[in-house]
Amino acid sequence: MKVREKKWIRFRIYVVTFFFVGGLGIILSRAYQLQVLERERLTSIALAGYRDVIRLPSKRGTIYDREGHELAVSISVDSIYARPALIKEKLLASRKLARTLQVKQSKIFRVLNSKRPFVWLVRREEPDKVKQVKSLHLEGVGFTKESRRYYPGKEIAAHVLGFAGTDHKGLEGLEKAYDKILRGPECRLVQMRDALGRPFYVSRVVSDGRETHDLVLTIDKDVQYRAQQALNAAVAKTKSKSGQCVIVNAVSGEVLAMAVSPSFNPNVFWKYHSYQWRNRTITDCYEPGSVIKAFLLGAALDSGTISPDMKFYCEKGEYRVGRRIIHDHHAGGYDFLSVREIIAFSSNIGAVKIGEKLGYERFYEYLRKFGFGRKTGIDLIGERSGFVRPVESAKEIEKATICFGQGMTATSLQLVMAMAAIANRGRLMRPYLVREIRDEEGKVIRKTPPRLVRRVISAETASKVAEILEHVVSKEGTGSLAAIEGYRVAGKTGTSQKVDPRTRSYSNQKYVSLFVGFVPVDRPKLVILVMLNEPQGNRYGGVVAAPVFREVGAWSLNHLGVHPQLVLVKNKEEKQKFPSRPDRSLESKVREINPDFLPDFTGQTMRDVLREARSLGLEVVLEGTGLAVSQSPKAGHPLGKISKVKVSFHPPI
Amino acid sequence: MFDRRLLKNFDWILLLLLIIISAISVLNLYSATYPLRQAGGSVIFMKQIYWFIIGFAALLFMTTFDYHLLGRLAYPAYFFALALLIVVLLKGEVRSGSQRWLSLGGVMFQPAELMKIALVIALARFFSEHDHPNGYRLRDLWRPFLLMALPCGLIIKEPDLGTALTIGIVCFSVILFAKVRLKSLLILVIGAFLAAPFIWVNLQEYQQKRILTYLSPEMDPLGAGYHINQSKIAIGSGLVWGKGFLQGTQTRLHFLPEQHTDFAFSVLAEEWGFAGSLILLLLYLFLMLWGINIARTSKDKFGALISLGVVAIIFWQMAINVSMVTGLLPVVGIPLVLFSYGGSSIVSTMAGMGLLMNISMRRFMFQ
Repeated sequence: MKVREKKWIRFRIYVVTFFFVGGLGIILSRAYQLQVLERERLTSIALAGYRDVIRLPSKRGTIYDREGHELAVSISVDSIYARPALIKEKLLASRKLARTLQVKQSKIFRVLNSKRPFVWLVRREEPDKVKQVKSLHLEGVGFTKESRRYYPGKEIAAHVLGFAGTDHKGLEGLEKAYDKILRGPECRLVQMRDALGRPFYVSRVVSDGRETHDLVLTIDKDVQYRAQQALNAAVAKTKSKSGQCVIVNAVSGEVLAMAVSPSFNPNVFWKYHSYQWRNRTITDCYEPGSVIKAFLLGAALDSGTISPDMKFYCEKGEYRVGRRIIHDHHAGGYDFLSVREIIAFSSNIGAVKIGEKLGYERFYEYLRKFGFGRKTGIDLIGERSGFVRPVESAKEIEKATICFGQGMTATSLQLVMAMAAIANRGRLMRPYLVREIRDEEGKVIRKTPPRLVRRVISAETASKVAEILEHVVSKEGTGSLAAIEGYRVAGKTGTSQKVDPRTRSYSNQKYVSLFVGFVPVDRPKLVILVMLNEPQGNRYGGVVAAPVFREVGAWSLNHLGVHPQLVLVKNKEEKQKFPSRPDRSLESKVREINPDFLPDFTGQTMRDVLREARSLGLEVVLEGTGLAVSQSPKAGHPLGKISKVKVSFHPPI
Repeated sequence: MFDRRLLKNFDWILLLLLIIISAISVLNLYSATYPLRQAGGSVIFMKQIYWFIIGFAALLFMTTFDYHLLGRLAYPAYFFALALLIVVLLKGEVRSGSQRWLSLGGVMFQPAELMKIALVIALARFFSEHDHPNGYRLRDLWRPFLLMALPCGLIIKEPDLGTALTIGIVCFSVILFAKVRLKSLLILVIGAFLAAPFIWVNLQEYQQKRILTYLSPEMDPLGAGYHINQSKIAIGSGLVWGKGFLQGTQTRLHFLPEQHTDFAFSVLAEEWGFAGSLILLLLYLFLMLWGINIARTSKDKFGALISLGVVAIIFWQMAINVSMVTGLLPVVGIPLVLFSYGGSSIVSTMAGMGLLMNISMRRFMFQ
């Protein structure tokens, strides 16, 4: 080749090389753009496109109560979807669908006209409607199984269970707290359709490897049901705004029932306001009122400040602390009361005196040890800790009023657990709701052991406190209505004024009525709290809350097979640590058996007295408020000789 | 006839490159036809292997004689191919709306593929005979243009716009390489612009639609833009490292149109990601640079022009196909050379590669 030609070719070669490399560069940068820069957009399109990633009905774990009853289950139901592109006669189809599904035609029509390749018509529809839609044989309308959370007990333990939403995420309660454990593997099936929308399965099930776990709760479905029923009835009867009832195992801290009234049905949770879902037993803090005296007593006895028989002067009902005067509810007040009586009659002044002797600093420490001002650590989300004023910031008057439960707040769960500590010989336990976690084969993979939080008071002190609290439920105590036939009951009533948010001072209308107690005293099984929020009419805890305690307690003891102690008491009288008091149940039996004699009205409410007296055809003269304390003529008087009975009432605190 | 120096100068690297690309192609085709395996997909796969074997045989055959022999055979070969194109139009097989195939004893064969090579040789002969050191004027170029226009017209008639386009653009590259005067070049470019409306009017409706779709593919995702969207999605969803062999979901489910022919690259890109695309494209680049080097070192203009023509065939087909599947260009039915399924294309390309090798082997020899 000639030199000139060579040169000519070389130049062209360079141009061509440059051109080729440049061209390839453009193509490569395009590939880079698609595969690296735009990947997210294109990947998501690839996923969404004409293929659907179908989430298989991942089975959410079942929640059982302690006896194996199902409280929350996942069932498989049909959902109906449409592929708008495949539906030719949209108007006709929407008319047919609207008629069958009973929804507005315009709504379905709009959905069918959507540009998206896949739209849900209805999720988790009832089987018979699905059947009807299936019989329409509409092209472009398909069905897929989805699982739906179902709560067979409806309202039972609703606040404990919470609920899971449509996308299978636990939203409230245990469903939320144990969401990760309950939630099964997220199984995805890529149901593939070719370009013409024909199904083409590539059954590559992608699972994230999680396992489904079942929960076994400490809740007893029957006890829970009973508690809820009794609470609802009490709320209705007293026209309260709301109510709470918590029952725990005195020794282990297992929660047997946790009732909030009004309840809600988690199957249709969206029909309720979100505040109705709240488990108020852990989220609502209120002033516990006189119930706190039980813990004051525990603190004072444990520190050796007082002894049960020590007497305090109760200032005849008016006691000045700083600029405020503290009253007792008893008309005319008391003069000297023993510690026992202070608790049984729930004297505020007596309590303040005990508190003064104990000292606020020590009392504060004990309250903290009882678990006030901090979370109980129950396995739920959203628990509040309440408030106890620290020593540094407490004023004189606050140091006094806290002795009868004013100026501090607590949740129902805290109160019931603190009471359980007294019942459990001074040991504070951590409350818990989940007893066991089981795997798919039903094998127990985690068992919750009872956990001791701390020792609060000595066993000896606890026994003393229990004995004194038993007096509260005695005939003359404020909690006499809580007594359960055949069992020894201990407890404490409480009635606290609520702070009116408008006036920012204590309201005369709004009260919280409480009873917290345990049974049986010598071998405690159950600790029960009953709280009624703003009862109308009679507001005393001993009047409104205590009967609920009795009802729920009696039923639960029977259900749990705790035998009445009467026989035991008789057989082991000498072994008993506490002398058994004359049993009310025997008296009441006598009363019921002998309709010819005037019954004993003491301890009854006005309403009950009236009802009973009227049924006997007697005229009643009422005196005072609260519970019946005395009557004239005395019980046992032959009925034939009288036509009128006078009953005196006295408010219990 | 046989010279030991031929063996010594045998272009092993070129052969190796071709073997690698063929292997990737076969592997990719296996994946692309995997979902079709019940419906005869494995037949397609096996056929491709046979075609590659035939292709390599053609390649070796093309190295057995001195390429100058082709100089003499250039025009006869050209007219033979042209005659075949006419036969196709008269009694070819019609498939999916176009008449492109001739049945040769049961084997389907596209004369247009043969024409590519024949045309390159014919042009090389023309330019090596008619030397214009100062560049060709327009009037010197009427014969090359005629050589190009005749087959293009016939192929458009089939219709096979894509192949016609490739042939046109390859010829144009060769002509430009042969050196055209600047003024003539300008006239050509302006002429092309003026002709564009007429071409537009004469395009089939589906072809017009494709070009419109190219301009905005999202306009009609299920209609004409469907192919290109699915292809982009497939490529894009491959990400950097791809979904893995046989794991391409777009591919698995026939979302890709023509996945074993025109959209074979998308399958590769989906399953092997950007890394896979990069490797394949770099192999092509290496192949082309190697071809250009052969052109540069060839001992005469005839050899250089043939080499360049063959490289241009590879480049343009590759560039148009990949640009198409990545949405850079409108959809034109051009397979990815040496990669897509298609017997005639493989055999004719391999024959072209044989020519390249032939030239490479004989660069140090003198007549």
